[in-house]
Amino acid sequence: MALRTPEDFIQSIADLDLEIYMFGQKVDDYVNHPIIRPSLNAIAMTYELAQYPEYRGLMVATSHLTGREINRFTHIHQSTDDLIKKVKMLRLLGQKTGTCFQRCVGMDTLNALWSVTYETDQAKGTDYHERFRAYLQYVQDNDFVVDGAMTDPKGDRSLRPHQQPDPDVYVHVVERRDDGIVVRGAKAHQTGACNSHEIIVMPTVAMREGDEDYAVSFACPANAEGVCYIYGRQSCDTRKLEGNDLDIGNARFGGQEALMVFDDVFIPWDHVFQCGEVEFASPLVERFAGFHRSSYGGCKVGVGDVLIGAAALAAEMNGVAKASHIKDKIVEMTHLNETMFACGIACSAEGVRMSAGNYQIDLLLANVTKQNVTRFPYEIARLAEDITGGLMVTMPSAQDLADPKIGPIVEKYLVGQGDTPTIDRMRVLRLVENITLGTAAVGYRTESMHGAGSPQAQRIMITRQSNLDHKKELAKALAGIGKPWDKAKLKVPTAVTAD
Amino acid sequence: MTDEGTPGPETHVRVVYCGGCNPQIDRSAVAAGLPTGDPEVRPGTTVHLNGCPRACASDHMLTSDDPSTVVVAGELVDGVPTPSHELATAITRKIKE
Repeated sequence: MALRTPEDFIQSIADLDLEIYMFGQKVDDYVNHPIIRPSLNAIAMTYELAQYPEYRGLMVATSHLTGREINRFTHIHQSTDDLIKKVKMLRLLGQKTGTCFQRCVGMDTLNALWSVTYETDQAKGTDYHERFRAYLQYVQDNDFVVDGAMTDPKGDRSLRPHQQPDPDVYVHVVERRDDGIVVRGAKAHQTGACNSHEIIVMPTVAMREGDEDYAVSFACPANAEGVCYIYGRQSCDTRKLEGNDLDIGNARFGGQEALMVFDDVFIPWDHVFQCGEVEFASPLVERFAGFHRSSYGGCKVGVGDVLIGAAALAAEMNGVAKASHIKDKIVEMTHLNETMFACGIACSAEGVRMSAGNYQIDLLLANVTKQNVTRFPYEIARLAEDITGGLMVTMPSAQDLADPKIGPIVEKYLVGQGDTPTIDRMRVLRLVENITLGTAAVGYRTESMHGAGSPQAQRIMITRQSNLDHKKELAKALAGIGKPWDKAKLKVPTAVTAD
Repeated sequence: MTDEGTPGPETHVRVVYCGGCNPQIDRSAVAAGLPTGDPEVRPGTTVHLNGCPRACASDHMLTSDDPSTVVVAGELVDGVPTPSHELATAITRKIKE
């Protein structure tokens, strides 16, 4: 298969017959469920843009395994240019969907595993890299969406994985067989899990002696026996059940998270990429997190572009676009947005080729990128709400606008500047609401905070990589610390002694 | 070796430094710890001595495709974590392989 079409992608997900639960009920026709479908549409955009000549430069790459054209989301970065194109591709998709399009987590997982399996083999004499190489080609050849599953529920955070009262709060190996392993546990916050063909599980924390059963990485089909999904709620999600697009804000696209459960799932050895090598859990976690933190310097920037545009439109419709403080706020939003982008580009430009031959982002700068992303979207959202005005959260509903008696009143009093149709003003206000408070706020705000690691996780990495000793030596050299002090050469400044 | 039995210039290690804007290791000290005039050193050996893992001296590569080149990038030797006080020893071992 070359590049899948968006229609083929959606049909292929329907064909998986996944076990998905929502509101306490199993969802059968999940690809047409009004709460789920927008999230499928968002991933489908990663396929759609790859079909257009004007976007292929970012969306399509050449496989280093086969030399064939592949979607960049299945590519192993072969240069810093690849790393830069990844960030730009993610920005483009954020612009086109205004939400989390979910596919980057798998791309970042594939790239982390490429080098970690290689280095594990070098050190331990295992054959994980060969297995992974074959699996990667399978993913590329089928243009699959892969869910990279890292975050375990973790239970008592003060205890190591093997010390937990309930061992299942971390995914772990419960049985080793000649033909494979059996795993049990769950992964939380799984972005796009129900829209994926394949799942790759990774450890969520560094592992130590005693944690061998938890230092496990493997791949399985999303519909493997024993895997089920419990769909995550989003703010305002049931507006999608009201049969009208107006109050949703962004009716076509949305994000998705789920709790993914592994109930004694069998994994054949050829899909196992780590099993007991505790010392390689940490590199896998750090590299995946590094790649994913750099991704946020693209995707959140694209959504930010939409939010800045929506705020500017709202200002125009309110008749305040020329007010100096409005223009200044738009400048500030743009400055914050481009700062995140600059970080994403910088950590890519400073990427390095690993011994496995792939390119990895600069870890320090990737963590700086994500640290900014834990803050700047909140400020951009605050400024958007400032510009948009309170009507965003007090506005009557679409049903009121459609009502023969109430509708004309809503039309009359929600009118904006000039000939702006009231419904257009309502649409842009709902879009701002969607991104800042509604379903897309899951991706734009809280995911910016906690996705790819909470702020403290980045601060730990920044501390480790900051090269503070060098900075202290620079200061010592300029301050003259450690130099002999010749008091005999002291002079009193002439100006002080003048009468 | 020359006819006189003394090491020829080809036994000297060529060191290529990065620019040194973010050194996590003392590059000069590492270079000073490398062998000079050692006949066991492979002729034409080059050491890319990067102060940090950004590896600017080796065009952002943590390993080289050229077997006669060793890449040091902060506390990494050809991508393998190596404490700074063991760098010169690790490099010397490699260039004599």
